[in-house]
Amino acid sequence: MASRFWTQGGDSETEEEESDYEQEDNEVPVEDINKAAKSKYLQGSDTESDDEDGQKRVVKSVKDKRFEEMTATIDQMKNAMKINDWVSLQESFDKINKQLEKVMRVNESDRVPNVYIKALVMLEDFLNQALANKEAKKKMSSSNAKALNSMKQKLKKNNKQYEEMINKYRENPEVEEEEDGDDDDEDGEDEDSEFEEDPSKLGMESDAEEDEDKEAGEDDANETGPGWEKMMSKKDKLMDKQFKDPSQITWDTVNKKFKEIVAARGRKGTGRIELVEQLTFLTRVAKTPAQKLEILFSVVSAQFDVNPSLNTHMPINVWKKCVQNLLTILDILTQYTNIVVDDMVEPDENETQKGTDYNGAIRIWGNLVAFLERIDVEFFKSLQVIDPHTREYIERLRDEPTLAVLSQNVQEYLERAGDNKGAAKVALKRVELIYYKPQEVYDAMRKLAEQNEGGEGEADGEPKAVEESRAPPSFVATPEIVPRKSTFPESSRTLMDILVSLIYRSGDERTKARAMLCDIYHHALLDEFSTSRDLLLMSHLQDSIQHMDISTQILFNRAMAQLGLSAFRVGLIAEGHGCLSELYSAGRVKELLAQGVSQSRFHEKTPEQERMERRRQMPYHMHINLELLEAVHLICAMLLEVPNMAANSHDAKRKVISKTFRRLLEVSERQTFTGPPENVRDHVMAATRALRQGDYQKAFDVINSLDIWRLLRNKDSVLEMLRAKIKEEALRTYLFTYSSSYDSLSLDQLAKMFDLSDKQTHSIVSKMMITEELHASWDQPTRCMVFHDVEHTRLQALAFHLTEKLTVLAESNERAQESRIGGGGLENLPLRRRDGQDYAAAAASGGTARWQDLSFSQGRHGTGGGRTGYNAGGRTYSGQAGGFSRDRTGQSRGVGRTYQTGSAARASQMDGSTRMVSLNRGAYA
Amino acid sequence: MANYDLTPRIAPNLDRHLVFPLLEFLQERQLYPDQDILRAKLELLNQTNMVDYAMDIHRAFYHTEDVPQDMVDRRAEVVARLKALEEGASPLVSFLQNENAYQELRAEKQYNLQMLNERYQIGPEQIEALYQYAKFQFECGNYSGAADYLYLYRTLCTNSERSLSALWGKLAAEILMQNWDIALEELNRVKEIIDSKSFSSPLNQVQNRIWLMHWSLFIFFNHDNGRTQIIDLFNQDKYLNAIQTSAPHLLRYLATAFVVNKRRRPQFKDFIKVIQQEQYSYEDPITEFLACVYVKYDFDAAQQKMRECEEVILNDPFLGKRAEEGNFASVPLRDEFLENARLFIFETYCRIHQRIDMGVLAEKLNLNYEEAERWIVNLIRTSKLDAKIDSKTGTVLMEPNQPNVYEQLIDHTKALSGRTSKLVSQLLEHAQTQQAAR
Repeated sequence: MASRFWTQGGDSETEEEESDYEQEDNEVPVEDINKAAKSKYLQGSDTESDDEDGQKRVVKSVKDKRFEEMTATIDQMKNAMKINDWVSLQESFDKINKQLEKVMRVNESDRVPNVYIKALVMLEDFLNQALANKEAKKKMSSSNAKALNSMKQKLKKNNKQYEEMINKYRENPEVEEEEDGDDDDEDGEDEDSEFEEDPSKLGMESDAEEDEDKEAGEDDANETGPGWEKMMSKKDKLMDKQFKDPSQITWDTVNKKFKEIVAARGRKGTGRIELVEQLTFLTRVAKTPAQKLEILFSVVSAQFDVNPSLNTHMPINVWKKCVQNLLTILDILTQYTNIVVDDMVEPDENETQKGTDYNGAIRIWGNLVAFLERIDVEFFKSLQVIDPHTREYIERLRDEPTLAVLSQNVQEYLERAGDNKGAAKVALKRVELIYYKPQEVYDAMRKLAEQNEGGEGEADGEPKAVEESRAPPSFVATPEIVPRKSTFPESSRTLMDILVSLIYRSGDERTKARAMLCDIYHHALLDEFSTSRDLLLMSHLQDSIQHMDISTQILFNRAMAQLGLSAFRVGLIAEGHGCLSELYSAGRVKELLAQGVSQSRFHEKTPEQERMERRRQMPYHMHINLELLEAVHLICAMLLEVPNMAANSHDAKRKVISKTFRRLLEVSERQTFTGPPENVRDHVMAATRALRQGDYQKAFDVINSLDIWRLLRNKDSVLEMLRAKIKEEALRTYLFTYSSSYDSLSLDQLAKMFDLSDKQTHSIVSKMMITEELHASWDQPTRCMVFHDVEHTRLQALAFHLTEKLTVLAESNERAQESRIGGGGLENLPLRRRDGQDYAAAAASGGTARWQDLSFSQGRHGTGGGRTGYNAGGRTYSGQAGGFSRDRTGQSRGVGRTYQTGSAARASQMDGSTRMVSLNRGAYA
Repeated sequence: MANYDLTPRIAPNLDRHLVFPLLEFLQERQLYPDQDILRAKLELLNQTNMVDYAMDIHRAFYHTEDVPQDMVDRRAEVVARLKALEEGASPLVSFLQNENAYQELRAEKQYNLQMLNERYQIGPEQIEALYQYAKFQFECGNYSGAADYLYLYRTLCTNSERSLSALWGKLAAEILMQNWDIALEELNRVKEIIDSKSFSSPLNQVQNRIWLMHWSLFIFFNHDNGRTQIIDLFNQDKYLNAIQTSAPHLLRYLATAFVVNKRRRPQFKDFIKVIQQEQYSYEDPITEFLACVYVKYDFDAAQQKMRECEEVILNDPFLGKRAEEGNFASVPLRDEFLENARLFIFETYCRIHQRIDMGVLAEKLNLNYEEAERWIVNLIRTSKLDAKIDSKTGTVLMEPNQPNVYEQLIDHTKALSGRTSKLVSQLLEHAQTQQAAR
């Protein structure tokens, strides 16, 4: 109680002293800014009183000044206490500790000034009070609460040293107060132990230990200090000292120290970087390879801890060191094959004591795969964060080969160790590094890797040598056994094949699925549309993708986009449209491909969602060009939709191939004035207008003027293909639109009009006749087509409408009755439709009806999640329900590739009529 | 023409012994140099026990009289082994050859085994020996013996894996003996087992199907009823999947079967789509011909392909089978194929034309003018074609067959009244039963 009273008293005192100051400035949180002013003010007030005995002040000079500073700080603390500002309190506390040091040095005393003790007591009481008051604690701002907590710990630690004095003070505050004056005069002999307290501020637990270390002598520290690393903290120097004498180092000391450091990991106030440095030092003095390995594992995980945040990436230099460490780990593992890395069993305490000559297996705890995945994630994150238009990004990208080397080595090691699952995981990482690279980029990377070898060898070699000479030689020297340069096969496809077949053999479900998607993507990238389509269809990924994690769904979307592009490049328009239309149906391509955040007008995202989304973004160099994608999609839609609209001009609503395209067209038609095309969309719309009038040349010119075509490798052939397709569709459109105005048309004229060869024209027109899109027939001797007048009159068309409606009515009646009475014996007579319509209807329904907006809000139950959800649900490849299910399991064509998920059972499920992929149906219907 | 030869693709899926007929055929057709074929034969034989035959080939190949020592040694070894195996299996063989004893066997395997064990001291070892003996017989080229023993073995065998192997062996033996009827039975038996058995991996199952299809080619193109059956087998989803996956070259045979078989129209349409889809993985003149007629409507190309098809058929060991009539040899399948192919072209051509010049038509059909006219008249007479010949201008006039609008309307609505009245009657019935229930 006394103490409590005391604090109160203390408070009131300060209040008196500083009342005017407080009036001036009520906002104490900004104390930092005012600190200087305030201390001046305080000093001023002191000097004011001192003015009378100015002489004396001169005499006192340094000693007093220090003392006064301390008092001033205490006053600040009191202030802070009053307004419950723990942040500034913490600062003041640190400050006072520093001042204490100075005071002591000046006084050359071993006794702590009473003022300091007084402050400590005060602080402690206030702290207890604050902690007791739970409610107030809750109200505190987060930074304040944090400061409070760290204060609690610091104080506890600090007070331990002065426990005796504090207790004395508590018993008898007055006495101490009286003695106050004297303590300046008391000079004690210098004692090291007091200085020792200093490092304790670093917050290390092992103070006691430290003291022992200290005995090795401070002088030594000074000598060795500059010896090897400037960056080392004082602490490390101490360690260095401790392990100075190689003969004294035993496995036990190292182990003890190691345990100690590891125990400190994750504690408040443990410097993350220091931890890494300490551990790195320990690796040098480790006695056995196993121990070195164990410590290295800790180093790596400590390095991972350097960056605590989930959103930012690990500092790049740390990342590089981390990679080096992992390589060293691999070196050791390769050198000593009897060391086994395992994360399943808790190894024996003294496992690492076994030396090199030990014959049996030594088990070390650790998980290389997890490390590698983490490294990869950090690399990925850094690329996400760095601005892609800067040099830094490019520099960062240069580290890719390093990562490739590492993963290659890890994979090789795992394969040797027989951990095929792990190897498959690592192989997946490698696959993910290369799958999006076209051959050119891959070659560039290969060259870079080779250059790196040459260039870096020299650059790296030198500093390393210097460092080596400076540093005490480590006990366990690890030669670089594992190659530091990865070996890339000539073609990216070869590498992919090797990796992917490994994964198919021994990966788990997710790994296999991802590898499959990468494989599909890569095949599509190389213009092997049919192969990648077959892969997709036989893997049945489109059925199960909505149950997978979001990043896999993104990968799926990317693969689909790439597949669409490749279909377009090889001239399969309908297929290309099938692949791409779903990406565009909701207008959220960016989001679906994770290439930027799309803003939704209707829905605000929570910060949480936004963060999540940001974390999923693809790095820039992996992006699929959105303009190109949009152009391809719209052109495909145009080529399909324009003749379709012309064919069904009387009821346009009936068969819509691409809703997106129709909508855009409506918008552009509504414009009263159409300016020259600016963006991709405008271009395609302009082309559409031309195409609808049968002006193929203009349509092609407009599309040709798009500058995205330069992104295509085989630009010329693609444009040539496009030209041919446009001509063809223009011809079809023309015939649909104007056939009713002609009685006959000559083949030559048609061919000339559309700049097609006779043969092509004949083939196109014949196809239309066969599918009954066009009611005409050839008159062979005159090379003319004769139109039959079978176009229904309006009355007839209406009559057909009526019959159709009647049928629907009858059917719904039957259904209603069936559900009422239950199971009528009525066989539902199928609607009779002509073949051609049937195809188109199937294709149309595939595009739209099967589409469901399934959101991914797995685990997140918020209602808000729905809208931002990834639309991977209900996705079927070009909308054919389980259509194509070729039992590809028996694939023996590739490199022993067997994707085993397909089963014979699946093949038997389907019925004969739907076996065909209607990809092709659409194309030729 | 060698580039359309499928032997290299088919051979890996056949038994060693089944390849010989193919090589014989190739030798006969003179597609490859004789030396190559002989060498291939020799290599094949090296793995079999048909040492005598191998020696013959060796002599022919090197044009010498002496044979290498290892062959002679091998011969001795084979003979010795044959003896040993015969001995091992002899108790069972003698039992089985004994009519009376054989009668004692019953339908139930367990009983048989027990009975054999008790009365004749024939245990599993002897049964196993029988299998080995039969296998050795087969390898030596004694197919009939092998077939007999395998059949017997199957009646006693309890191991289903072994039983399947035995069945394959029997099938091969029957094929090589050209007993097509029995072979067909065996084929169906194997098929049943493959379809019903659960394989360790789907891959195995597919592989088995592929084998089965390859082996079946021998039977189907020799059996009278084979051409329908090949469609039945190959066009099943499971088998078609297997073809598309691993053996697209089999499409040639399926395509040919479809062409020569007129009654398979509904499946034919689907098949065209398969061909289209597999264009990237397999193409030969026969499939291209179908693509030309039914996908591209390019009749000139179709005609071109038709000529190529003829070559392909003649050079295919399965399709180009000779039928000898006196000293006049013909390839029946070729004639049939060409006839049907012509019809295909003509049919499609007619569908899109109103008037066709006879001369052009004759050219398209690979016929001369008179032949063409006769052919068309025949078609019209058998009412396969709704057309008239305008003799003066030398054209064929197609009769328009546009469906009448009114007919269509009636078609659409015809069923409606029936359905409605049925509906009403059902409703009434329902109401009555409900009332009655009350």
